[in-house]
Amino acid sequence: MVKGKLKKTFTDPLGKNNPVFAQILGICSTLAVTNKLENTVVMTLGVVFTTTLSSFVISLIRKWIPSRVRMMAETLIIASFVIIVDITLRAYMPDIWKQLGPYVGLIITNCIIMGRAEAFALNNTPGLSLIDGLASGIGYSYVLIIVAIFRELLGTGSLWGIKILGSWWTNWSIMIMPPGAFFMLAIFIWIVKGAIIPEKEEAKK
Amino acid sequence: MKKEGTFALRIYPVLFMALLTVLFITVVSGIYLSTKDLVEMNETLSRKKAVLYAAGIDFPDGNPEGIQEIYTNRVREIGTADGRPAYFEILTDGSVSGYAAYVSGAGLWGQIVAIFGFGKDLKQFTGVEFIEQNETPGLGARITEPWFKEQFRGKTGPFTLVDEGTATGPGQLDAITGATRTSTAILRISNKAPEVAEEVIASNGGEH
Repeated sequence: MVKGKLKKTFTDPLGKNNPVFAQILGICSTLAVTNKLENTVVMTLGVVFTTTLSSFVISLIRKWIPSRVRMMAETLIIASFVIIVDITLRAYMPDIWKQLGPYVGLIITNCIIMGRAEAFALNNTPGLSLIDGLASGIGYSYVLIIVAIFRELLGTGSLWGIKILGSWWTNWSIMIMPPGAFFMLAIFIWIVKGAIIPEKEEAKK
Repeated sequence: MKKEGTFALRIYPVLFMALLTVLFITVVSGIYLSTKDLVEMNETLSRKKAVLYAAGIDFPDGNPEGIQEIYTNRVREIGTADGRPAYFEILTDGSVSGYAAYVSGAGLWGQIVAIFGFGKDLKQFTGVEFIEQNETPGLGARITEPWFKEQFRGKTGPFTLVDEGTATGPGQLDAITGATRTSTAILRISNKAPEVAEEVIASNGGEH
């Protein structure tokens, strides 16, 4: 039973309860930072780090958090981890830090982190919360990375800044502009929700 | 919360938040202080690289000591403005052979800050490095790609924009396809760059 819950905690956010395409959370950063794969990967690492550790810490002290100030406490904890990510990038990856600009700071507004803290970490043990946070982060990350791969490839003909498509390729500039993110994400959600998830559910029945 | 007394309702939450805040601020400040020197070093190093690049001086990328040595020999920082040098004199064999100065202007999404390098006459460009920009990645942000920056070397303004990949004359600049607004912003900034440099040199008591 315990093992089953552990597995479910980990696999749910990756599949049918994915924060991005099932809960439609964290959309702002999905739209904003997915036009270059490199930036996306750094961003998702930051989110995985923050959501994992903040869920863990919030769960750790959940019994002492007064319910009236719980959101304040959560925000404080999340913000601290975000600042740590920001400082670390600034010190060790200054070029990427410059490119990501304000988006690293905006991890704090990522609804996934607050959502997992409220919905899961406050009611579950630290170990389980850590797994939930990690899985939610990964669930968020792979969607962003897939969207970013398509956007960068179609928009600039390159991946990770390396030219993939030859000179015959005409860049779809729209892909690297904000509307491209809407199209890509919508197509992604459409495919996943329309084709993959229902099949799985039917198979279960 | 079992008991909803004054302590549990009014005092405990305040104490809890205060304690939590102190705890987390201590941790974050500690990390900030321990990386502060590194961050400052990064910033100084990237400024030095930008100046050398704008001046057209080769430097070993990824070798901070090497960059530092070349910088000391070839660049003299003059004055201060906004916590950074006002402008830079480029030295060849100990005498001034050119200048580099900050020039900024509005881009499409935000401010663009560049360091422009000039010859001694402040007319010929030796190069440019963009140190701050928020242009669209993949479009306007391509101003940071080498092919775009390299095209400034040896040219003299005022510039006009031509289609990407067709610039030939000393007064022509390649625009970026699909990034018209950024291209015109760069045109504006680079056309006023010599003037800006002249002003900053004059206001710091320098002559050229």
